[in-house]
Amino acid sequence: MKQLLYILLFISISCSTEGTDDTSAMTDDGYTPLPNPALNFEIPSNFPESTYDVTQNPPTEQGFELGKRLFFDGRLASDGVVSCGFCHIQEFAFTHHTHITSHGVDGQIGSRNAQPLHNLAFMADFTWDGAATFLDSQYIIPITAEKEMNETISNVLNKLRDDDNYPQLYANAFGDEEITTERTFKALSQFIVMMISANSKYDKWERGEAVTLTPDEDAGRILFDAKCASCHAGTLQTDQTYRNNGLAIDPTFNDIGRERVTGLPEDNRKFKVPSLRNIEITFPYMHDGRLQSLQDVLDFYTDGITASDNLDPLLVRPDGTLGLDITQDEKEKIIAFLKTLTDNDFLLDNRFKEF
Amino acid sequence: MKQIIALCTIALLLLSCNEDNDDIDTAYGSLNLVFENTVASSPLILNAQTYANLSGEGYSVSELKYIISNIQLTRSDNTVHTIPVDKSYFVINEAGTKTALLDSIPVGDYTGINFGFGVDPTRYPIESGSVNFIPTAEEAGMLWTWSAGYKFLKFEGTYSTTVDTDDANPFTYHVGSHSANLDNYKEINLAFAKAVTASTTTTQTINFDVAKIFDSTNTMSLVAKDDIQVDPENAPKIAENVRTAFSIE
Repeated sequence: MKQLLYILLFISISCSTEGTDDTSAMTDDGYTPLPNPALNFEIPSNFPESTYDVTQNPPTEQGFELGKRLFFDGRLASDGVVSCGFCHIQEFAFTHHTHITSHGVDGQIGSRNAQPLHNLAFMADFTWDGAATFLDSQYIIPITAEKEMNETISNVLNKLRDDDNYPQLYANAFGDEEITTERTFKALSQFIVMMISANSKYDKWERGEAVTLTPDEDAGRILFDAKCASCHAGTLQTDQTYRNNGLAIDPTFNDIGRERVTGLPEDNRKFKVPSLRNIEITFPYMHDGRLQSLQDVLDFYTDGITASDNLDPLLVRPDGTLGLDITQDEKEKIIAFLKTLTDNDFLLDNRFKEF
Repeated sequence: MKQIIALCTIALLLLSCNEDNDDIDTAYGSLNLVFENTVASSPLILNAQTYANLSGEGYSVSELKYIISNIQLTRSDNTVHTIPVDKSYFVINEAGTKTALLDSIPVGDYTGINFGFGVDPTRYPIESGSVNFIPTAEEAGMLWTWSAGYKFLKFEGTYSTTVDTDDANPFTYHVGSHSANLDNYKEINLAFAKAVTASTTTTQTINFDVAKIFDSTNTMSLVAKDDIQVDPENAPKIAENVRTAFSIE
């Protein structure tokens, strides 16, 4: 069976490259799909293996274009306005900048802060509580959630089918004009897995390219490794686990975190350890956006932690008091290091812009 | 020209794949699976009828839906016909569609059926076609909006704490998969004997005994817990009970 897949893959690749000449197949409606070369999904040399299996959904130029169009299309929402890109703004690493918790249709306020979109091809699961285990099915959540896009998948498909342009865009991407859930989600994934942020100063330093960290940045890096990296581990600064980091309960939301997904009391108020890529510009911070600055975050970790049954043991000092030991001078150095994770090439990359 | 040859090759490969290497000239018929929801041996009546479980509680049912998937049919020579993914997912709804029509079944004598309760998390959404079931499940209310998973069973109604009292408390059983570590997908194997003949539809009834949701491998008491949804302890018990609820006479 695997061999068969490879043969099919090979044949479809040879088809798509031949599509560049004028013998391209026509669809039933007589539309000739545009040439659709494969995109180069390249894993940066300092990155881990991807979790997304691109052989199951190889990104192509037209699949990416369709995914981008869908990402910025408000018709995926019930009000025709709140697109994915409404809460995921590129210049802020695809977060909902300045919004504490994100907004949905009809001015509704969600209970969580939109997470950045970058390097999702390397994540084991998605959203703050891990409610989606595959990227291709994650889209169900924001599209159907009442306080986000509040739409049904069936309606989305019908709107796309009635559109003048989408059938041709699907034909460009997938060979014919049929619009299905699978194609819609796969196109979104093709757009999103290409969002790799790997050109920060830190990346260049890690890859041994010609950059040097300033003394403060380098001191911050060593402090970060000692005080933060047991959770914010590895090149992407996350061990991809769920932890209760001692945030006091906000009675407005009373968010139980990971427990909603697993039903396990021990997962109460645990949230995904986030990647810290582009952290400088993804404020506000935490799952509910309650902290405004990196200084606030570090102050929270030294002085703001609340006790609970599930509090992560790494946040308890040997004498039983709560918090990490970081001086103000050390905090400033850690912040200097965190700013080396900002990747301006990614934030300004024209490939991901709506227009 | 090359492309046409390539497309034909793909088509042939796909055909031979889908049809389990059946001869391309094979004649086809249809098999209509009719799910009969019962309580013990009586047909289930929604709302109007009160039943008793083995915990001594009375209950009436307002909604019963479940997902059937990954259907495979075994022939008398032990070869297997696999229904293509795109045609292998169904919502059975007591208040609506209770059939799963399988078309393009090669004619022959069939002796067994294999199907899944719910959606196999190892195949969804990776397996091509499995995601296209989402709109159907969504229209039936079998999709969570906060999670990317399906409800495999939606079973709701009211219950009284004893069969002799007439208090009516709501109960809700929503059993599904949520994440990699909470999986309630079950496989069911049943024997039957039916011949599928060319260009006709053969009907096969599959019985689903609602009483077994409460009382089978595990005993579920509504007084003990009347709202079971994302529940790593009780949802798997219900799923195990559901696995035993299907039968063919």
